[in-house]
Amino acid sequence: MKKILIIFGVLSLLIFIRPALGLNSVQTNTESTTIVQADEETSERFIDEAIGGIKQFYQYTGFANATSGHLLMILIGIVFIYLGIKFDYEPLLLIPIGAGVIIGNIPFVAGNQTGIYETGSVLNYLYFGVVKGIYPPLIFLGIGAMTDFSSLIANPKLMLLGAAAQIGVFATFLGALYLGFNLPEAGAIGIIGGADGPTAIFLSSKLANGVNILADGTVVKNLIGPIAIAAYSYMALVPVIQPPLMRLLISKEDRKIRMKAPRAVSQKEKMLFPIIALILTTFISPSALPLLGMLFFGNLLKESGRTERLADTARTKLIDIVTILLGVTVGASTQADIFITKDSMLIFGLGAISFVIATMGGLLFAKFMNLFLKGEDRINPLIGAAGVSAVPDSARVVHAEALKSDPHNYLLMHAMAPNVSGVIGSAIAAGIILSFLG
Amino acid sequence: MTPQILEIDQLSEGYIILITGLLIVFGSLIILSLFFKYGVPILLYVYKIITKGRDRKIKDIAIAADEKFTGEIAAAIATAIHLYLHEKHDTENAILTIKQARKLYSPWSSKIYGTQNRL
Repeated sequence: MKKILIIFGVLSLLIFIRPALGLNSVQTNTESTTIVQADEETSERFIDEAIGGIKQFYQYTGFANATSGHLLMILIGIVFIYLGIKFDYEPLLLIPIGAGVIIGNIPFVAGNQTGIYETGSVLNYLYFGVVKGIYPPLIFLGIGAMTDFSSLIANPKLMLLGAAAQIGVFATFLGALYLGFNLPEAGAIGIIGGADGPTAIFLSSKLANGVNILADGTVVKNLIGPIAIAAYSYMALVPVIQPPLMRLLISKEDRKIRMKAPRAVSQKEKMLFPIIALILTTFISPSALPLLGMLFFGNLLKESGRTERLADTARTKLIDIVTILLGVTVGASTQADIFITKDSMLIFGLGAISFVIATMGGLLFAKFMNLFLKGEDRINPLIGAAGVSAVPDSARVVHAEALKSDPHNYLLMHAMAPNVSGVIGSAIAAGIILSFLG
Repeated sequence: MTPQILEIDQLSEGYIILITGLLIVFGSLIILSLFFKYGVPILLYVYKIITKGRDRKIKDIAIAADEKFTGEIAAAIATAIHLYLHEKHDTENAILTIKQARKLYSPWSSKIYGTQNRL
């Protein structure tokens, strides 16, 4: 501390001694006035320049450029990180996104290739993977290599629950149309109801990317940021959104239904599943090929039993790398001047509604299915809520909720079936919307 | 007037997409589930017929034994492999410590006997 004070003192002495001497000499020595004045002028110019430089530097700092929007978004980023750490809501997503939100909202002077929306900046290159829809299929590859479809193979009728939850997608689509979004934008917003981050990013990068031109000549809005943030934040909030709906719609007795254990599935069936499902689903909805192709390819790597190394990389290192890049860039894409608009607020509202509708669709369809099923074959309607994809969070929520009404009712395996079929269903829905509107 | 027409047009198209989309999603997952309910068992059955007798368990497969290959040879090979893999290297302690060696006093370079400081 002493040293710093000494250095500071010496520096200030050096700076101020010259004008001080000059002033003294003005008073005492009249002969050398002209020279001294010149000296004074240079010193004044020096100070001016120094102050000017500091001012210019200040103009480049975040303090000069900060707006209330930036500060608000930084606060939101901190809240995301807080939620991820404190409440453990999908920390693998919320912490990268939260950090990204802070990164993206540091105020800066435009034109220096700093921001994520400036061509040539590093963040812009990383964001390329989002804009062009490169990251989502890679994530799907990892998800495929992680997912065990055996509960679905054992009980194929549970696939319908995954389809039922897609009502949320189409209902939100309609809601967005009513709110005045045009068709492609509404399609991209609707997919939030699929509760599947990668699918939402994929579809919005194809439909609402700020590049495509509509039939009437207007350019679509760039909604990738708001849609991705809405999808991921509601996915993280699944443990908050779903339980009240379950308690509302499913009676106490129904919640206690025990399902019989799924039959053992042979390795051959597991190997056949990705191949058959790939061919069937992509023949029906070819636009979903990047997503479904990679999903089932990843699953084949897992189940073939010969490519354990590739499967292992896909489900650990690869998906981690892509998640990091995706999280940070999606977070950074929320630059305040582009993000804080009326549209974003509408999207957030629609997203919440779509999650509610999707959950209700799944639950009610499960009750509907129970009308036709007898005895042991009856399903616990709670697993319908797992039809919204959000793997594996919604399945876990279902499991926890079932345990609350019957501490010996383990539904996790059963809930995984609608859960993974929800992933397939939302990818198919994305393909359909893309083929209608793309 | 035109924007309103456009809006209505959009909405009707929206309903079309809603209905067809839902139908297709349901349809495709129904097809998939039906296929797994009925198609896959058939496939597996057909596979069984095609590969009749070929898909046996390991314990059912008769060993075409080589008479000369006795248990001793197998044991010898196994031992050799074991020795090769495990005793290829001398195991050395990887921890290096520098011990302070205790020196006995020697006056040969002692500072006391320098040229400067005479006794």
